[in-house]
Amino acid sequence: MKGVLLSGGTGSRLRPITHTGPKQLVPVANKPVIEYAIEDLEAAGITEIGVVLGHKGREEIQELLGDGSKYGVDITYIVQGNPVGLAHAVGCAREFVDDSDFVVYLGDNMLRHGVSDLLESFKTGDYGAGIALQEVSNPEAFGVADVDEQGTVTRLVEKPDDPPSNLALIGMYVFSPTVFDVIDRLEPSWRGELEITDAIQLLLDDGHAIDSHVVTGWWKDTGKPEDILEANRLVLGDKDLKMIGVIEEGAETDGRIELAESAVIEDGAVVRGPVSIAENTTIKSGTYVGPYTSIGANSTLEGIHIENSVVIGGSEITANGRIVDSLLGRNANVESADELLPEGRRLVVGENSQLKL
Amino acid sequence: MRIITHTCSACGTVIAANELEDNRVMKCPGLDCEEVLRFTDLPEDARNHFLEYKEQYQI
Repeated sequence: MKGVLLSGGTGSRLRPITHTGPKQLVPVANKPVIEYAIEDLEAAGITEIGVVLGHKGREEIQELLGDGSKYGVDITYIVQGNPVGLAHAVGCAREFVDDSDFVVYLGDNMLRHGVSDLLESFKTGDYGAGIALQEVSNPEAFGVADVDEQGTVTRLVEKPDDPPSNLALIGMYVFSPTVFDVIDRLEPSWRGELEITDAIQLLLDDGHAIDSHVVTGWWKDTGKPEDILEANRLVLGDKDLKMIGVIEEGAETDGRIELAESAVIEDGAVVRGPVSIAENTTIKSGTYVGPYTSIGANSTLEGIHIENSVVIGGSEITANGRIVDSLLGRNANVESADELLPEGRRLVVGENSQLKL
Repeated sequence: MRIITHTCSACGTVIAANELEDNRVMKCPGLDCEEVLRFTDLPEDARNHFLEYKEQYQI
């Protein structure tokens, strides 16, 4: 079986972070989101992966993933160009997939337990597709599947007023090559895109059985800043964190801490895990780094109290204050204005930024 | 909707027709690939179909 990793999209909900890079490269626990997807596919035994690229951040994604050898996989790039919908992205993978079944993984999604169970369930029958579902409390906000007692899907409904179940579709699918014939017959939806749910519905209408697998662990679409923070919290809560770097005498540490080899927690700093601190980062005296925080590489923190936040990297954070529930983009600096006159906050803020002062 | 792609003979990178048409002549976006790709690499019927329904491939 092959894998198709969808890595296009504009990342508009993650602006301003995505003004300068693709959403798939935003780090969660100091690792780009897309690497979790590659590792999940590899763990499921899928080593031939087609990475579908849009316009945004194409070269950055290629630079990170390379030919896939560092992950133990073989990557073929598929350039979709215009984002004309998920079904179009899948359709572009036809030559790559050829005659094999394949799994489709959204490159900005994360699954705690990966895709192995979804694949195993799909392999137990003669299915046109397999879909991953998760129980949600607000099914009217999702595409919803109606399934029978065997888990076979009987119909799909998009954002229904009267949901037939609480099982929402999440962004993981397995397809037989039959789906390509169905995609050929699709017409663009009202928003001008070829919709993957329309393709699955057509498979159903044609009489193909659709398998479903209910995901029990967490699933996260990392499309918005609050989703990145939540994913960071979930991963740090689960991850085996290794402390390799330097903790100076007089530093206070507690809980699970990931500390890269060249990272330092200096005398007088306090770090309470779970926390991830990347390479070449220094936590100086008077700083508090609280639970569920990831500090990216090449950063310096001094005097700040920060918790439940993600600092992507390259930052100087030296103000006296508290930062909570925050996402700081690469090379963003936060300094003190205490000595400056006239008194007041001084901001250089990019388009689509959100500040709560 | 017919999805039209071209596969680079040198490196296997797949390129959608809209990308080829946008550029007309382009260096292959595959890693370290120097191949030059052209919209005219697509079969004539695929080119004609794409140009006839071009608005469907834009967003």
